[in-house]
Amino acid sequence: MSGPSDVPEAAPRRRESGSFSSGLTVPDFAACLQMGLRPVGLVQGFCAMQWGWYGAGSPYMRGVSPYASAGGSQGGYSQSWRCPHGMVSPDHRAWGQNYEQTWVEAAWLQGFGSAYGRLIEEAKEVGAHGVIGVVDTSHNLADMNVAEFHILGTAVVVEGAPPPPHGDPWSTYLAGQRLAKLIEAGFMPISVIAAIASVRVWAYCVTEYLMEGRVGYAWGQMGSSTQEIEQISEGHLAARSLAREHARAQLGSDTLHGISISATEREVGAGDQVLECMLRGTRVRRFKDFDPMPPPRPTVRLS
Amino acid sequence: MTSHSDLPKDADHRLEELTHGFFTSDLSVNEFLLVKETGFHPLGFVMGSSIYHTGIQGRRWSKSQELSKLTEAMYNARELAMTRMEEEADELGADGVVGVRLDVNYYEWGSDAAEFIALGTAVKAEDGNSYRNKLGKPFTSDLSGQDFWTIMQTGYVPQGLVMGTCVYHIAHRGLGQTLGSVGQNVELPNFTQALYEARELAMTRMQDEGNLLGATGIVGVRLEEKSHQWGSHTIEFLSIGTAVTKTGDDVTLPRPTVIISLDN
Repeated sequence: MSGPSDVPEAAPRRRESGSFSSGLTVPDFAACLQMGLRPVGLVQGFCAMQWGWYGAGSPYMRGVSPYASAGGSQGGYSQSWRCPHGMVSPDHRAWGQNYEQTWVEAAWLQGFGSAYGRLIEEAKEVGAHGVIGVVDTSHNLADMNVAEFHILGTAVVVEGAPPPPHGDPWSTYLAGQRLAKLIEAGFMPISVIAAIASVRVWAYCVTEYLMEGRVGYAWGQMGSSTQEIEQISEGHLAARSLAREHARAQLGSDTLHGISISATEREVGAGDQVLECMLRGTRVRRFKDFDPMPPPRPTVRLS
Repeated sequence: MTSHSDLPKDADHRLEELTHGFFTSDLSVNEFLLVKETGFHPLGFVMGSSIYHTGIQGRRWSKSQELSKLTEAMYNARELAMTRMEEEADELGADGVVGVRLDVNYYEWGSDAAEFIALGTAVKAEDGNSYRNKLGKPFTSDLSGQDFWTIMQTGYVPQGLVMGTCVYHIAHRGLGQTLGSVGQNVELPNFTQALYEARELAMTRMQDEGNLLGATGIVGVRLEEKSHQWGSHTIEFLSIGTAVTKTGDDVTLPRPTVIISLDN
């Protein structure tokens, strides 16, 4: 979508209806009122992306060029392994490579960024200071190579505060008492931060044998039936490290709060895996000193 | 079923028994205590059901569009189930229904037929005041006993469980379109627009229902997506939440007590 407004025609009609809607649970809604935040509407952003795994780094390019393709030419993390056996055979994987799929990360960022931009645009339209309880999802649409990114949250106005300046409303994954505790601790949310790292693993012979449990074939690494599969370990470490780096690049001098990190692995073909690491959190900035909370009252459940 | 009451005869008999002080409820013990604490008394477990033939609607292979007949069917079926549940609550003289669950069941014996069922516990205020909604009907809400207690503390009262639905057909991609973007990860504006629009329509319709009840807002909105039995390209977007109205009284919410659990 392009033009001055990225949101569909039905969105303004919904916002004009007068009443607010909120995706908050009742306890979160009550905590929101207690903090002096007034919900003004459920806001959302959406983006559908063509999602292909072909092109650069395609499994069909295996064997064309062992080191020049994909990672090497696309920038980003890349690490190679050579066969220690000295065998030459079309069936023998003489080389292996881990590389960062920067084009996948860029496409993900575009999908997430567009959906997030539309969420913020809706929040601005309703005059919100911020968006709380943000939830983001992405999944494949129907049975096509289309990935949909959907982000929603509850737009809020800070009671008694002047109208929001021209800047974008702040946003946070937090809501309810978790947000209240953050503010009591002297921090204000700035924005949600999400970062992804995608690492492709093309196994070389040793990795292949170890993954198949054929330890005896992994010459040069024999001696134990339980051992580290170095190429896979390095891939996972790189994915986590890259996700942290990408998040850090968005932080400026602020702090990331409430990080959740999730990793997935997907087998594209034999010995060919995609490792993805997703990191989410709320970028926060200190605005006042910590308000000491009253001492907690010890309780014991009788149930 | 008669025109003035949609309820079967057996329901009348069951409801008659409940009017003599005996009550049934699906509230847990904690929920029961909190509902009592709020000043309400459970009157009985109420339900409404509607078996609806949802049929099929022609759709164009390559066009994303709303399937208005299916939207209407899915909406009407739920509305009928809800209305019948409200009628049961009305017969008990209830002020409202809490803990409403709205389910759809498909059975092997009915092709394209689905049972829509609404279940909840009817409650009545013990102080004699009426908490019925603007339309004079018992309020409905999917709030649990705990949520009901909390929302009443905030100075808001439930008005009704409101919903909006939109059944949307998502276009199939032609070979030309697919080949045209092979190897690229790019936004597909038509898909974005179509699905965005579908969700917004469901939410608008839900808010319209809230406005009819004179609600200040809707809490606990859920946006559900289901393909039911239509295949993956036809999706129902259902938006549902509890419409609430602010009462005149200004409420100062107490600061929550900080506790530390000494349990494991």
